[in-house]
Amino acid sequence: MSAKRITIDPITRLEGHGKIEIFLNDEGDVDKTYFQIPELRGFEQFCVGRPAEEMPRITNRICGVCPEAHHMAATKALDALFAVEPTTAVHKVRELFYSAFYCTDHTVHFYALGGPDFVVGPEAPAAERNILGVIHKVGVEIGKQVIDCRRRNHHVIKMLGGRGVHPVAGLPGGWSRSVSPDEQKEIVEISRQNIEFALFSLQLFEDVVLANQAYVDLVLSDAYAHRTYYMGTVDANNHINFYDGMIRVVDPDGKEFVKYHPKDYAAHIAERVEPWSYLKFPYLKNVGWKGFVDGNDSGVYCATPLSRLNAADGMATPKAQAFYEKFYETLGSKKVNGRYQPVHFRLATHWARLVELLYAAERMLELAEDPEITENVRAIVKNKPTEGIGSVEAPRGTLTHHYVTDEKGILTKVNLIVGTTNNNAPITMSVKKAAANLIQKGTIVTDGLLNKIEMAFRNYDPCMSCATHSLPGQMPLEVVVWDAEGEEVERLSQFV
Amino acid sequence: MKTLVVGLGNPYLTDDGVGVKVAYEIERILASNQQPATNHHIDVTEASVGGLRLMELMIGYDRVIIADAFTKPGERQPGRIHRLTLDDLRAISPTQHSASAHDTTLVTALDSGRALGFHLPDEVIIYAVEVENVLEFSEEPTTAVAAAISPVVEAVLQELKT
Repeated sequence: MSAKRITIDPITRLEGHGKIEIFLNDEGDVDKTYFQIPELRGFEQFCVGRPAEEMPRITNRICGVCPEAHHMAATKALDALFAVEPTTAVHKVRELFYSAFYCTDHTVHFYALGGPDFVVGPEAPAAERNILGVIHKVGVEIGKQVIDCRRRNHHVIKMLGGRGVHPVAGLPGGWSRSVSPDEQKEIVEISRQNIEFALFSLQLFEDVVLANQAYVDLVLSDAYAHRTYYMGTVDANNHINFYDGMIRVVDPDGKEFVKYHPKDYAAHIAERVEPWSYLKFPYLKNVGWKGFVDGNDSGVYCATPLSRLNAADGMATPKAQAFYEKFYETLGSKKVNGRYQPVHFRLATHWARLVELLYAAERMLELAEDPEITENVRAIVKNKPTEGIGSVEAPRGTLTHHYVTDEKGILTKVNLIVGTTNNNAPITMSVKKAAANLIQKGTIVTDGLLNKIEMAFRNYDPCMSCATHSLPGQMPLEVVVWDAEGEEVERLSQFV
Repeated sequence: MKTLVVGLGNPYLTDDGVGVKVAYEIERILASNQQPATNHHIDVTEASVGGLRLMELMIGYDRVIIADAFTKPGERQPGRIHRLTLDDLRAISPTQHSASAHDTTLVTALDSGRALGFHLPDEVIIYAVEVENVLEFSEEPTTAVAAAISPVVEAVLQELKT
């Protein structure tokens, strides 16, 4: 029986979060893998009929992980919708807020999620591969620094964003509060501490990962490598910017494929629908969809910290630039036409994330020291709304909000491309490759299968739920292996 | 004693927002002095977060009461109210491991916070309401879950008196 004859019914596969299904062929090798997550339904219907200016406060609720990113993309979409260009003071206060958010978000990913695989070890029992395990391994003092980093930046987020968890300060063309001189002094000090912490984290990565040949081999192994296109937002110098800029895409050889304004996303990005997944698969329209495959002919692209480094020519701040160069030199990238060739090793994303952490901290200090941030940040809206698109780099990928309204500003159409969705195809490919290495000729290496597959998708920092976090507050990962006859041969789950 | 009441969930995701609605109601009742004053310091907040960020909200409190939506494995009864403790949460997720998006479990987060020497509540009580629908966007919970809001509010107010 051919593996093609197995029917896949998405309805039967909706019971779990983060479910991975692996289908084997007649030889007992991996034929296909499916990475599935439940879809939240009815978001557009929920928004249509509401005033557009509510969107920064609605969309910051759709994700419990990156409310700040949705708040900012929504606010920028309102700038465009009401055709009001923010002053440079507004842009600076917003970017300052956004940099503080990056400092918390990248920190938690490295220390709580991605880091445990390296710091505690990829072979360590699952129960120890968490932030508590990291604390035990590296010491209480470092754990305290992690929490302190998060606390001081959450303090800035609350100060500038109006609320601690779900910010409310974004307005069309403006920001609801400016920065007082006392607050400015405090933020300068916090930014300096962030730079120290980022440098410390990069040193920790060098000591723990780069100094360990087994880890270096793992990072450089083909099992975790994919040659795809890379996307990221860049400034006028083609340096990374999280808050604003042009979208740049480079091909797998590092050559610029296209650079476009975020408002033109629909001319460049198309979304593939697969019968087995409710989550769409964005791809580069002008390359075309060739399936879940690597290479220059495949429209699959990736939008992650690694992608942003690959898509840019460098970092806009000096210390981050030095680490950017070290990153490419260490990973064996050559310079062609003045820019480094892309690094395709997906596990290097963890290192790229720390380079970005340092950039966020340095950028935060630049903005905090800028006298303009204490100026007026109000804006007056005069134009009738029609349509607006706003985009930022969410920590886990380019985030685009697109709103259409009637002349009173009541929403008639809403479209979002969220960070993780960009990476849906690459995640699927990474999961398949990891599985294929562990399942050959019908032999399934169950030991470590779950963790190695987790490592394959965890580096993308996927934000799978984008909202639902009912108790017990964690998502069970389940891996099911089916043979060519459609029989279940293995089922692994981290829930006992 | 400092007590924090946290309503957890997404208020725009049908039943997921049940905890937030409980928090709003408690905040309203406390603000209108409909309940006898206690000597306790009580804060009420709401959030759509878990894990570390939730633990961080708890720093400095002696007691935390959480209201949240609950997807119970196995047999389901939407609207059923569970009073859980941290020990119960440990039993629900015995591996303490998160394959989740971006964070860790509350239990691991609290253990980490304690290991780091933060003042965290000795007592964490969770009022968990079994949900029917957490996959569709709506501000209105389903009937069974909506009916659970008042009893949970009442139960939390009773806890606050002790």
